[in-house]
Amino acid sequence: MNFSTALKTRRLFFDGGLGTMLQQAGLPAGTLPDLWNLERPQAVEGVHAAYLAAGCDVVTTNTFGANAHKLAPYGVPVERVVGAAVANARRAVAAAGREAFVALDLGPTGKLLEPYGDLPFEEAVSLYAQIVQAGAEAGCDCVLVETMSDVYELKAAVLAAKEHCELPILATVILDEGGKLLTGGDIPAVVALLEGLGVSALGLNCGLGPDQMAPLVAQLARHASIPLMLNPNAGLPREEAGRTIFDISPAEFARQMAPLAAYASILGGCCGTTPEHIKALVHACRPIPAPRPVWKDQLLISSYGGAVAFQGAPVIIGERINPTGKKRLQQALREGDMNYLLREGLAQQEAGAQVLDVNVGVPGLNEEVLLPQVVRQLQSVTALPLQLDTSHPGAMEAALRCYNGKPLINSVNGKEESLAALLPLVKKYGGGLVCLTLDESGIPDTAAGRLAVARRIVERAEAAGIPRRELLVDVLTLPVSAGKENGMVTLEALELVREELGVKTALGVSNVSFGLPQRERINTAFFTLAMGAGLDGAIINPNNQAMMGAWRSYRALTGQDPQCGDYIAAYSQAPDSAPAAPAGELTLEEAIVKGLSAEAASLASQSAQAGAPALEVINAQLVPALDRVGQGFEAKTLFLPQLLMSAEAAKAAFEALRAFMPPEAEGTSGPKILLATVKGDIHDIGKNIVKVLLENYRFQVVDLGKDVEPQVILDRAVAEDIQLVGLSALMTTTVPYMAETIGLLHDKKPGCKVVVGGAVLTQEYARQIGADCYAKDAMATVHYAQQLFSR
Amino acid sequence: VRPDRGEIARYLGYGERPLEGAVARQAEECLAQLERACTPRQVYRRMGRSQLPFSSVELDRHLAGCEEIFLFAATLGAPADTLLRRWAAQDMARAVVGQACAATLLECFCDTCCEALAARLQPGLFLRPRYSPGYGDLPLSCQRPLLELLDGGRRLGLSLTQGDMLVPAKSVTAVIGITQEEQSCQIHKCAACPNVNCPFRKV
Repeated sequence: MNFSTALKTRRLFFDGGLGTMLQQAGLPAGTLPDLWNLERPQAVEGVHAAYLAAGCDVVTTNTFGANAHKLAPYGVPVERVVGAAVANARRAVAAAGREAFVALDLGPTGKLLEPYGDLPFEEAVSLYAQIVQAGAEAGCDCVLVETMSDVYELKAAVLAAKEHCELPILATVILDEGGKLLTGGDIPAVVALLEGLGVSALGLNCGLGPDQMAPLVAQLARHASIPLMLNPNAGLPREEAGRTIFDISPAEFARQMAPLAAYASILGGCCGTTPEHIKALVHACRPIPAPRPVWKDQLLISSYGGAVAFQGAPVIIGERINPTGKKRLQQALREGDMNYLLREGLAQQEAGAQVLDVNVGVPGLNEEVLLPQVVRQLQSVTALPLQLDTSHPGAMEAALRCYNGKPLINSVNGKEESLAALLPLVKKYGGGLVCLTLDESGIPDTAAGRLAVARRIVERAEAAGIPRRELLVDVLTLPVSAGKENGMVTLEALELVREELGVKTALGVSNVSFGLPQRERINTAFFTLAMGAGLDGAIINPNNQAMMGAWRSYRALTGQDPQCGDYIAAYSQAPDSAPAAPAGELTLEEAIVKGLSAEAASLASQSAQAGAPALEVINAQLVPALDRVGQGFEAKTLFLPQLLMSAEAAKAAFEALRAFMPPEAEGTSGPKILLATVKGDIHDIGKNIVKVLLENYRFQVVDLGKDVEPQVILDRAVAEDIQLVGLSALMTTTVPYMAETIGLLHDKKPGCKVVVGGAVLTQEYARQIGADCYAKDAMATVHYAQQLFSR
Repeated sequence: VRPDRGEIARYLGYGERPLEGAVARQAEECLAQLERACTPRQVYRRMGRSQLPFSSVELDRHLAGCEEIFLFAATLGAPADTLLRRWAAQDMARAVVGQACAATLLECFCDTCCEALAARLQPGLFLRPRYSPGYGDLPLSCQRPLLELLDGGRRLGLSLTQGDMLVPAKSVTAVIGITQEEQSCQIHKCAACPNVNCPFRKV
């Protein structure tokens, strides 16, 4: 019997703690246990044998830390360690003389992945791939990804396992007593990700004892549709004489585990559990029949921070990150102005979006590079799940790979080419799939025609191994101005596909009003009708108050907003129509000096509407205001936050003026300045402060971010013929990289000046490392740049 | 525990002056958001000073007379980093204020943890101020053994970058001396730091 069959037919018992057992066998504290696979194979085999004698069905290889990163200091290749580890386990199984399995153990890399840490996602995948390859070659029966506290790392490990072997994959995470991962994710997010990736079982290990896990296990069972696995510690850790100990007895462990056996078909132990614990566990739980997982029909999508379930009122999918017809967004994408995109995303989140659609299709830009980049950036600032929106399969795969969680995928349609490209990607990476009811012959005119296309997509998806619950059929909205039946056909089709196919539905709502005046009126009415027809996912502009009003009202009216709490929270304070104009006699200059962004933007628009040329407004109002604030900062009559509030107000005013500027004037602000936080340093706040101030003074900033290699800085300076580079460093330890960067720039790009700043620098220190200028505070760089470029 | 507003002002360059108006309001908003998003966590371990696998001249001076120490680590966790990045994308003023709030919140959490540790000591024993890698002559590379001894990766989700910076960023590791000399504990943490030109120095 292979492992998969065994998992389907009976309860399986895993082994217990390995590290503590090896320490009892003499492993010195602080030694990487994985090294013993080679140095003391008999000792490792002995531990496996003890667990097998205790009655477990699966032993876990001694490879928790056997990745290239952790093994590097010892100079032992991963393949040797892993090969030996599997061999040790196999020998123990052979000697046991009964059926038992070997699970290849994958633990955390020990590094935090980007954007929190500095390990790129693909590097994590490679670290795991090496172990999986070696383990599969050496003959393990399944892969166990365990002790994960970051869903992104979990995804990297599972993906590596999927790509490098055909074996069943089990995955368990550490949760705290509140059911949260250390990186903030929760149980539904873990279930969504792992079921999307297609693992064979999922569950919990480490962190807690069985009693503390109990409420979390019940929650897991409510969401999961696949077998559950539990490897708790022997209770909670306790400190005694400088050592961490776990001390519930084998009998007590078994007593606490027994009630959990009704939920989980795979049971074992983690820290502090011994063969005696496993023996007692097997004795107590073997007679309890293994539970059968109950299939859940709910569509769950997720990010690292949580999950969104499609149930009840439609999920709001914000449509604003889509450059079609949006010049400003197109420009931001061309210029790599990520902050503009992030602000678009965050504004939608604040307006009530639950998912953000991300489309970066601009002619001439490489979506395959840009889409994953934007996805990573958005995920670094928001925990909303994303809807990946591209017609380019290569870009879709690149984004699906790097996405942290289980996204929505927008979209597949009934064309053979589309089905062939998209379905394998969904099967591999997981995701809720938006299915458009169109095919080679276009969009059917009738509801029955759209149902027929939907049916074919559903059948093809299921044949490809994608469960029906993952599908959101979009029956498409055509402008009612182009055909009087268009609205009704869509609504009818929506109801039909729900009833006939039992699938979820999504709709881009606002297309219905194309070509009509005051589109909001008809959009809102159509949206309300669609919600009544059972719409599950609404792709709309959440910044539109009327649409969100219709949604909140629908929730209240259909009993989905207890005590109308959300409705009241949204509208009890707000006046019926928001006043746009700032009050009183405030001038633009004063608004900026006072740091009032909304007022500054509104006043700038008013000036431009009244006919003042944008450049004149900038020179006559923005610049003097900034100068006044800058002088106040230098005279210490006002402080950094106030300086920056004014900077943000000036930025808002400039943004408002852009709309009035002739296109040729837009991209032609002042000279380019390159900014970077040097290699080794991850603190970029100082650099970001300088950036916003330089931009206020119309310099173009090329921002290379943080932890930047000297060579990368040089290459970019040469490529863009940069005359001034600004470097920041917060820690003393990174100043040598600053010196190296300066040396490289002066050597290879003569004439390029370098200004430096940061908490640890002084005038003297800056001089020693060869900087052309030391900026003591935020304004000093502006002055130096002005002087250098004689502006 | 209420984070010290004066400390936030000091981080923002206000010296002894209080925050006012819009900046003060922004600080309250940032603190509220941080407190909602973050679950501060700590881990510590008591051990003999001789077990400490690193040393430096100034750390030795700081631990003079201590036979035992606590190793200590605390973090606001990954959500604080996400909020700080979000603020930096939206509004640099908020980012700067939020940064100061997060730093203060973390210090305040560490202080609370250490007070609790001190309160549980046998009578006649006291805690010296926290001393962290990167202070004085204690290199950042000491973070690595310190984290390993505390199992900080598994228990707090802490990790180090290639340059030995702690991530998530709003995290602290420290060595805390346990001493019988109460007098020696009454020093402000700034006084233990040789960076006398530091703009934030308090004493």
